[in-house]
Amino acid sequence: MPFINWALASANETSQTSPSGAVLATVNSLAELDDRNLVLEAQAGNRAAFEVLVHRYDRDVLRLALNLMKRTEDARDVYQEAFLKVYRNLHRFRFECSFYTWLYRIVTNVCLDHLRRRKSRPEDQAPELHTANYEEGSSDFFERQREHRAALDPEKHLAGKEIQDRLAVAMLRLSPRERVVFEMKHYQGLKLRAIGTALGTSEETVKNSLFRATRKLRQELSVLR
Amino acid sequence: MSLEEQKFTCEGVAAHFVFYLSNELDETERAIVDEHLAKCAHCRAQFQEEQSFSDAIESIPQAADQLDYSGIVLSQCRSELAEKLDDLARPAVNDDALRFGWFRRWMILHPAWSGGALLLVGLVAGVQTSHWIASPKEPNVLDQAVDVRPGSQITDEQLSKMAVAGINISPSTSGSSGLQNVRLQLSAEQPVVLSGSLDDGDVRRVLTYVVKNGERFNPGVRLDCLDALKARSQDKDVRAALLEAARKDQNPAVRLKALEALRDASGDRTVRRALLDTLQHDTNPGVRVEAVNLLVRSLQEGNGGSPQMPVVRDLPLLPGPVQPDDIASNDLDESNAYLVQALEELQHKDPSRYVRLQSSVALRHISDRQSH
Repeated sequence: MPFINWALASANETSQTSPSGAVLATVNSLAELDDRNLVLEAQAGNRAAFEVLVHRYDRDVLRLALNLMKRTEDARDVYQEAFLKVYRNLHRFRFECSFYTWLYRIVTNVCLDHLRRRKSRPEDQAPELHTANYEEGSSDFFERQREHRAALDPEKHLAGKEIQDRLAVAMLRLSPRERVVFEMKHYQGLKLRAIGTALGTSEETVKNSLFRATRKLRQELSVLR
Repeated sequence: MSLEEQKFTCEGVAAHFVFYLSNELDETERAIVDEHLAKCAHCRAQFQEEQSFSDAIESIPQAADQLDYSGIVLSQCRSELAEKLDDLARPAVNDDALRFGWFRRWMILHPAWSGGALLLVGLVAGVQTSHWIASPKEPNVLDQAVDVRPGSQITDEQLSKMAVAGINISPSTSGSSGLQNVRLQLSAEQPVVLSGSLDDGDVRRVLTYVVKNGERFNPGVRLDCLDALKARSQDKDVRAALLEAARKDQNPAVRLKALEALRDASGDRTVRRALLDTLQHDTNPGVRVEAVNLLVRSLQEGNGGSPQMPVVRDLPLLPGPVQPDDIASNDLDESNAYLVQALEELQHKDPSRYVRLQSSVALRHISDRQSH
């Protein structure tokens, strides 16, 4: 899980360095600064520092957006809206949490807004990913997974795509919050506590959301057995 | 119910499989689940199914890998964001600021001149504003009903139905004409306010109507109308109205006022006849005395004397021979004869001692003048 490091990074981010030293840092050395000093630089009007912050996290932000929205255009909208919000509100950031947590709170809120808007427009719910032509009930979902994982044959990718398409359809049954929690847990590798912080809710609530999401997906995919 | 409390129930333990597989249970909780799975074959099978599902979820390709496997979308997003940040960083273009930018720069470079100029502008604005505030339009609640048009004609029917609610005479603001401005508030089917000088046909017409038809209007209104018409006594219609008022008005004060209004026209034959008639028949001694004075004055003016001279001093002696140099016309001769006759009658018969006295004085002056 490559993104598990985000949670760890957030814990290490609280290390203190001299703001004045950060101000004097050259553009070339910005990439070596930690989040806190980059934020201080950006708050002082250093555009390059802000871009370093963006490039440090935007790959993961776009990944989350793509996985949740399933459409490139929507994901790009989420990306732009989220980082513009960060840019406009950076002067209000008071280091009460890590920059990463603050950024993810904004990103997840933007994603939830987009998902809720999409939910109110059924015509927009079709995912961009092409649903594979599979014969319903032709095979056992879980059995095939075991086979695919063990076989490592050239058909794995195609079979995985089929499951992905089925999962995409099943994900439509989840609420926006359940989708975000499921995505952040399974594909972003975040701890439930970090997800709760990003969503501005308790760990217990996130736990319930994850449990409900898993149960719904199992029920939906079991139908395909 | 905690996992510790649920450890002996399959349902309670199964609810934690999801968190077991996602590494969200602490060591104690994991130990409880492991312990239950070791003893319960049903839960073990369920756990394996859950694990298969979890593995399947995590093993399938992610949408992000498929939609942006080459990283092009990420590059596009970064480029778009950079452009938007450039737009935000660029100061907003203000057309007004550009238009007056030179003026603002000049003000910054010349603070003293700028201060003086602003002070001057403020002074001018203040003076103009004070003028504007000090001379508001004269408030009049009836202004809303005003229908003043110089050429408009008020019909006789309207005149017969109207009542004068108010009359206001003010000095003329036009200056050269010297005429007074008259504002008439008329109560009719539709309230009307007439405003203008005596040159205005409608104003004059209403005033003369009031004077002629005195019985329909209160004495105060009639007196005001006479006061206004005084300056137009040379006008034929106005004079006729004044004469009628002097003869027929029920109120002696109005008749007296009408006579005063005719002072400037006392040389007219018709006026002199009216004055003689008043002299002989008016019931009010004050009116009769005024008639005497006006008649003497008319003779004086007809003689070309100065109006400032004593009233009866320059009158020609009547009924003696007519002095051709003093009296220009036969009308005046006739008036003189009537006047002396009337004065003699008043001198002996008038019930008012004052009238008799004034008549006597007038005759004596006429006699003195004749002897000279």
